[in-house]
Amino acid sequence: MSLKMHEIRELIRLVDESQIEEFEIDKEGTKVVIKKTSGRAQIATAPVQETPLAVSTQSVAPSVSAVATTPAVQPTAIAEPAPAPTPASPAVEDEANLHKIVSPMVGTFYRAPAPDADPYVKEGDVVDEKTIVCIVEAMKLMNEIEAEVRGTIVKVLVENGQLVEYGQPLFLVKTS
Amino acid sequence: MGQNIRDRLLSLLIQYQPQFVSGEEISRELGCSRAAVWKHIEELRQEGYEIEARPRSGYRLLYRPDRVAPEEIAYHLHTKKFGREIRYQEVVASTQILAHQWAREGAVEGSLVVAEEQTEGRGRLGRSWYSPPRSGVWMSLILRPPILLTEASHLTLLASLGVKQGIERVTGLPIQIKWPNDLLVHGKKICGILTELRGEQDQIHYVILGMGINVNTPEKNWPEELRAIATSLAIELGGPVHRASLIAAILEELEEVYDHYLQSGFSKIKAKWEQSSGIIGKQIVARTPQGVITGIAEHLNDQGALIIRTDRGLVSVHSADVSLK
Repeated sequence: MSLKMHEIRELIRLVDESQIEEFEIDKEGTKVVIKKTSGRAQIATAPVQETPLAVSTQSVAPSVSAVATTPAVQPTAIAEPAPAPTPASPAVEDEANLHKIVSPMVGTFYRAPAPDADPYVKEGDVVDEKTIVCIVEAMKLMNEIEAEVRGTIVKVLVENGQLVEYGQPLFLVKTS
Repeated sequence: MGQNIRDRLLSLLIQYQPQFVSGEEISRELGCSRAAVWKHIEELRQEGYEIEARPRSGYRLLYRPDRVAPEEIAYHLHTKKFGREIRYQEVVASTQILAHQWAREGAVEGSLVVAEEQTEGRGRLGRSWYSPPRSGVWMSLILRPPILLTEASHLTLLASLGVKQGIERVTGLPIQIKWPNDLLVHGKKICGILTELRGEQDQIHYVILGMGINVNTPEKNWPEELRAIATSLAIELGGPVHRASLIAAILEELEEVYDHYLQSGFSKIKAKWEQSSGIIGKQIVARTPQGVITGIAEHLNDQGALIIRTDRGLVSVHSADVSLK
């Protein structure tokens, strides 16, 4: 099944509302590339310890744009064909070969089922398709995210309790 | 099959109550022998029903225990899908756990897990939920919504509307919704809704709506630390509530809200939620994992996130404990 028109429309809307600058999907023969060309402020979604506010980019006064205290990702030239650098991923080296587990929705990232519980997975842990790696919560909907691949967790990219965007990478997995 | 005959037998006895219904009529209605009728009467007695049997008059129901068994719910239920399949147990660790198992086995939409008691009832992020025997409604409803995963958070808000309407219909109590979906009476919590989703990428496999409602818990039974923040319908009403009819009313209202949402989308649900919530336009404090936010609750966005006007501008909140300031 290739992408349907309403799905593409939905994708555009989601990317538009998100802080993602460039988005690419290849699904059974349909390839869609969405790029933002506007001169909008780049917003870093990397761990933001000092700023508790999650700023909504929709239906919000334009003056309230981003607040980021961590080194922001350098806005790269948008015309480059290279895959856009993903926010919050510091290393470049082998990342292309690593599988990214991404967030399927906007919400709060939790590494453990309860504050005093062990994390679902740690760096170095072996996972399979069904292993639960984290929870993303929005409006008290708890979405238990499965790895969907077999491999080893190489890096946890976000902090517990951090707000994550749609499509934001959460883990890097070396597939096996 | 056996379950079905028992459902219908109980329905007959309830319809005739306080009159007798003859053994002959029961066996004709149910299409089974009079010996089989006797066997089912005995089973009901073992569950705590008091049934008088008199020669030449038949059977008469004297006492119905307060149970949330399928035959009790079915008698009150007028839905198409919700609660049409029920798994019922006296005691479970958590109805959510059973519902996850059942959903993985292929449970149809609307399947319901219900129990008299939970020993490990849970709320958000591993918090426990006090679920003593026969005093509340502890249940989990399995949904398979044909929507995008990014829209699934709508379900938690529409669930709060459905449950609110069901409780109001049965009790007449004024229920307020605290964002995103706790239900309060006079500022104290009577219901929590925990929604859990399994899916991949943009596809939803299933969603479980777990509901805990404090119905007949007497005040003296509450653990000390809960008394200030939680209450039960019976305390607020001054008398007990029939739990099986409450479940039926909630399932009916939930089904209606859900069907409406699937047909017409989120906008009307959102408007209704904003009217019902009691926080819109008020000064609130939201304790989020990213910090504390204070401001005025403005409205919901299209995902159901709460938009708060702070002195730094508008802020959207996806996860928080919200309280009035």
